[in-house]
Order: sequence, then C-alpha cells, then structure tokens
Amino acid sequence: METIKIKVAGESIQARVGETVVHSLWNAGKADLIKTGCVGGACGVCTITVRSPEGKMIGTDLACMCPVEDGMEVFPCPVDSVLTVAPESNPTEEKLRKAYPKLDKCTKCGSCTSACPMSIPVMDSVLRMRSGQLDKVADDFTTCIHCGLCRFVCEDGVQPHMMGMWVRRSIGASMEKDIEKKLDQGLRQAELEWKYLLEGSPADRMNHARQFRKSGKIEL
Amino acid sequence: MDWANASLNKLEATREQRLRSKPPEIGGEDAQKLLHQYHPDYLGKQRTVRLGPNAGSGEIPHELADLLESDSQLPVGFEPSVDIETDVLILGGGGAGASAALTLEGTGLSVHLATKLRLGDSNTVMAEGGIQASVGINDSPRRHFSDAYVGGHGDNDPDLLRVLCENSEATIRWLGQLGCILDSNEDGTFQLRPGGGTSLPRVLACKDYTGLEIMRVLKDAVFLSSTQTLQNHAGIELLDDGGGQVTGAVLWNRDKGNLVSVSARAVIIATGGSGQLRFQDFPTSNHLGAVGDGLVLAYRQGCKLINSDSHQYHPSGTAYPEALAGQLITESIRSIGAQVVNAEGGRFVHEMTVRDILAAAIIREVFEKRGVQTPTHRSGIWLDTPLVDLQNGEGFLRQKFPGIIHRFKRYNIDPAKQPILIYPTLHYQNGGIKIDKDGRTEAKGLWAVGEVTGGIHGTNRLMGNSLLDITVFGRRAAMSIQKSLPKRRPITLTQLNRFREELKNISPRQSVFSPQLFPALTGMKVVFAEKKFT
Repeated sequence: METIKIKVAGESIQARVGETVVHSLWNAGKADLIKTGCVGGACGVCTITVRSPEGKMIGTDLACMCPVEDGMEVFPCPVDSVLTVAPESNPTEEKLRKAYPKLDKCTKCGSCTSACPMSIPVMDSVLRMRSGQLDKVADDFTTCIHCGLCRFVCEDGVQPHMMGMWVRRSIGASMEKDIEKKLDQGLRQAELEWKYLLEGSPADRMNHARQFRKSGKIEL
Repeated sequence: MDWANASLNKLEATREQRLRSKPPEIGGEDAQKLLHQYHPDYLGKQRTVRLGPNAGSGEIPHELADLLESDSQLPVGFEPSVDIETDVLILGGGGAGASAALTLEGTGLSVHLATKLRLGDSNTVMAEGGIQASVGINDSPRRHFSDAYVGGHGDNDPDLLRVLCENSEATIRWLGQLGCILDSNEDGTFQLRPGGGTSLPRVLACKDYTGLEIMRVLKDAVFLSSTQTLQNHAGIELLDDGGGQVTGAVLWNRDKGNLVSVSARAVIIATGGSGQLRFQDFPTSNHLGAVGDGLVLAYRQGCKLINSDSHQYHPSGTAYPEALAGQLITESIRSIGAQVVNAEGGRFVHEMTVRDILAAAIIREVFEKRGVQTPTHRSGIWLDTPLVDLQNGEGFLRQKFPGIIHRFKRYNIDPAKQPILIYPTLHYQNGGIKIDKDGRTEAKGLWAVGEVTGGIHGTNRLMGNSLLDITVFGRRAAMSIQKSLPKRRPITLTQLNRFREELKNISPRQSVFSPQLFPALTGMKVVFAEKKFT
C-alpha cells in the first residue's frame, strides 16, 4: 500500500494513503499522542489543529475523521471541559444570559464557525441566542458533538456549545409530549396477551409471537 | 468513485425498474441455510472455554475465549486497601452507566462512576437510527415483544424481554424530562420509523444522531448531579469479601498510572461490548474501549455468560472510502427507500429483513463474485441512497440524515446523488453476562446493565432496542440497588486468587493479560506507576 509521511506533535509518522490520522498513529504504535474515544466523529475528544506541508494553518479537525495528506503537520489540541449550568423550563434569552453572561461578549469574528468540525453555523447561532430565536438555536445545535473547539478558539470566553446544550435541554424538557394513546384494550386484555406469548414450549412461544406480529392481536 | 463506474452504470440502468420491483424474501429453511453458510457466527471460528462458569459448555469466539483464559492485569502481590469508599460504584461511562447514576440521584446514596475514557465516549454516542417504543396506534408492548422475540430467533430470555418492552413508554417520558428532543410531527406526536423486523413503525429518532442526543443529555445531567465521575479510570479487577459477595473494584488511573481500590456496597458493570476485538478481522463500528472488559471481570466472579456465541454484524458498514471503513450507515435509511444492490445492479434480499440475515446475504453476494472491489482491497455491495430523494422528494436525505451527508462530504461523495458501498461491520455483542429482571448478576453485590449483558435480545437484536435496553435496565438496576443494598464488607482478592490457581491447570498464554482495555491494533499499553509489589 502506498505510504506517505505526516508529522504528529513533532514526530514523523509513516502513514498509509486513505487512512485517518488516528489509524496512522495506531499503525505506528503512537496511539497515545492523541486522546481518542469513539473513532467515529461523535465523541469529540480527538481534537487537533492541522498545518499544510508549507506550514500554513489549515484549521481544526477531529483526528478520527481527518484523512492523512503527504507532509501535513498535526498537533493535538485537547479541550478541557467546562462547568455546565442546569437547564430551565420555558427558556428565554434573558434566562440564557443569566446562565451564561458572556453571551454578549461575542465580537462576531467568526472563529467559532471556522473551528466547528460539524459545520454548524456557530456564530450565527450565537447571534440568534441574543435575539431570542431559541427554537432555531436548538435546531442549529442538533449535530453538536461537544468537542468544545468553538469555546477553545473564542478570545472573548463565549461558550457556544454549552449554551447550545442549555437551550436544547431547556426546550426539550419544556415540551408537552402527547404520547399517542394506543387502542390498548386495558390491563385485563394485556395480561391475556402476555399469557399467550409467554406460556408453553419455546416452539409455542415462537408460533404465538409470529402470529401476534401480524395484527397485534390474538387470533386463534 | 471513477474506479466503480462500470458497476455504477449497471446500477443506474436498473434503478427505474427496481423502484417498482419487489425484493426477494428469504425465509424459513432458506434463511437458516444462509446463516449457517455465511454468517460469521456460524463459521466455526469459536471454541469452548476451559475454565470458569462456562467451562466446557457452548462455544464463543476465539478472541474472547483467549481473554477469559488470560491472567489479570493486576500485579501479583498487590494488596487492596481502601482509597475510595462509596455506596455504589458504576463501571462504564456510556448510556447504561449514566442512566443508572441519574436514577440514584436524590436517594442519599453516594455514587462513583468510573470510565476508562471520558464520560460519554461510548457506543451510545455513535448510535444513529433510534430507540424503539410502542407508543404508536395499534402498537403495544406485546407486539414489540413479538417482533423482538422472532427477530432474536426465540433465544431471548422472555422475562427480560418483557421488562424491556413494558418500560419503553416510561423511558421515553424520562428522556423527555431530561431534555432529549426526539423528532416529532406537527401535532406533537412522535415520528415513528420502521426498523428491520418491526411489524409496524416503532423507532423514535433524533435525525441520524439519536445516540448523540441521548448521550450528551445524560452526560450533562450526570455532570450536574452529585455523582463523582472518575474519568480515565479503568476497572481492572473486581474485589470480593471472600464469601461470594462483590465489594468493590481496583481501578487504574490512566493519568497518574496508580491503582485505586474502591470499596462499594454495590457494583454495576456497564462497560459495553467487544466490537474492537474485531472477530475474524472484521471492521467495527465500535468505540475505542469496546474490548469486553466487563465480561472478563464478571466471569472471574463466577458469573455465567449467555448467548456469547452471538454477535451482530450490522449489514451496512461503510466499505469506501477507506477512512470511514466499518462506520455505520443507519438502518433507517433503508426503511425509507434505499435499496441494497449487487455489482450487477440486482436486488437480492429484502432490505428490511432482520440484521443477521441481511448481513449474511451481503456476504454471500461478495463471496459469489457479485460484489464490488475498492482500490484499498475491500469488497462491498451498493446501498442505493439516491432512491431516498427520488421517493420522498429532493432534500429529504439531507434534512433527515445530516450525519451521513456530513461524513461523506469531505470525500466529495453526496449520498443524495451517489450510492454508498457497504459491507457488514462488527456492531453489537448480542450475548453477555446473565442477569435477572433487575439487572442482578449471579454474584451478590454485582449488577450488570446494557450491552455487557445477555438474554434480552436473543441471538439477533433489532434496531432501536439497544438504546432502549441501556436506559430501561440502567434505571432498573439503580432502583433495585436502592431497595436491596448489601452491607459493606471487606475488600479482598479471594476470587482472583482462586482464578489464578485454576489458570495454572490450563497453561494459559504467557504475557497476555485481561481485561485488555484497548484494541490490540492500537498498540496502547497498560503501564502502572512504579510501586513495590511483593
């Protein structure tokens, strides 16, 4: 297989074309250079910064989702977690501001949006938080993996991912959910059905389960 | 994907006709034959274990059997002395462990949750498709049970499965109270999707990030709770009182390198599965830590494993590009119209049959040379994703499955326009530690919940029943502990010493230790800080 060279935390690594930074570290026996979790782009622990072969800063990424490129230079960029604030029912921008007072410190530089490995329009969403468009904010942060890079790059101490979480949980917990009332025939019928499904030999149970799947009823 | 043009042309040529076609059903004896011939569980790559509660009975994969027959990571001569005293110790920081911790909040019990990675770095966070709950019209816990029982080939423990199905609605309410947002209709009811083997739509989802939504909410709530979270702390051995009661655990603090002994009145194992053992060199959809730690720990305490010969190979793992190999493409994309198509442009199986049969059918296509070869020497068959927008309207895939779109974008592949190459990926441990309806194991003082347990799903789990399993049983174990918390007893290594004596009789492999903690191919080492052990 074709190999190329990359640098991770100053160490030269032989990598196979097509693999990710994390897999190249595994193959080189240097897994400990970058902390890794899910290896699927969902847990957000393996945050890195990437420079091009010419030394130009390309940006931030997740090592487990970043394919290797000849001459690239990678630096671990671990992001510490920060304290979270409890959600509140019926959230408003005032309540959010109280929970995260730095909301108004945003200078609209856009660093957070550039840093986000999930392509969330982070800065726009921070501005939406200020003006109280919280439903849209909740939607924006649906794919947030809480890597914290948006906070890490913010020079003004804004914590977009934490605010996104607060908004989502607050809205989620305030939703009235109609769990559809089934056409369930009441407890007595339920017990009869359980009896039908659980009694008898394993073969009986299998036959009864097969039958029951068809209509959701006992049909003798 | 120019390298695949020849096959892609065939696929496009048959698309119109396939849209109107009926998929071939594989059932009855044909299904059994297919499984026995092609499913990895049935290929003889298993053996019996020579010691412990499963000795001589039933077969399990070699890779796992080897770990059950390996010596402990714990240095000989280590004497536990209490570093941390707690009421409940939870091992594992995925959805099951977090659900247990949250349910113990407010009970007055002290709780420590130890995870070898960070809280939330787990299989839960990567779950895509959804969570089953019988909240729809014409549905009931009994119908849910029937689907899961048939899907599990009747190898399920019916009592455990009943508990799972009867608690789905309560669990969805609980997740809602915590602030989880699941996709809903205009009228406020939940959107329900079909899953493979469900007799009607029953899967609730948050786009294709359901596990992420659930895990990040659980994680946030745990951080706000009184639970003490010990991150980067790996459980490497359980402690017992010398009389059959589990009384704590020894943890390895990965940051400092030292060993920490915890005395607990109850221990919950929630360490998850074993996909990173990569049986038969399969790729996996699992997270870094999924190497069967909990199975090893419980086994040394005399806990039997059930259905441990059974693992789930998810039919749609990514086969191309190489960087995404093994990663999941959610089943729900098939439930809304994506077809599974071979290199000749033909359908060969019903896309919504249960996972083991679909996986075996895909492996057969590749074996019989109707698969597609990638430039990196993998094989796969097509998942015709453009059919989704063709049937549901343009933009549908992007709106409902942002995760798939996002992952493929950097490789210039747009699944709304181009099909994806897939091959089964090692996804889920169907079997595991035997438990009762409250998550109790056979050892006093020890509970187990989530993927590490066996029995609920039989020998084939249905989509959406795992996120349900971890929340239902995580909560039940916590409630059970509240009601029947054992008295605090001394911490000793009696069980381990007994196990080490037994090991001498079977000439175990030298210099291999378990729990393994990390996948072998990462080369990650377990190193303890300098300390004198006699």
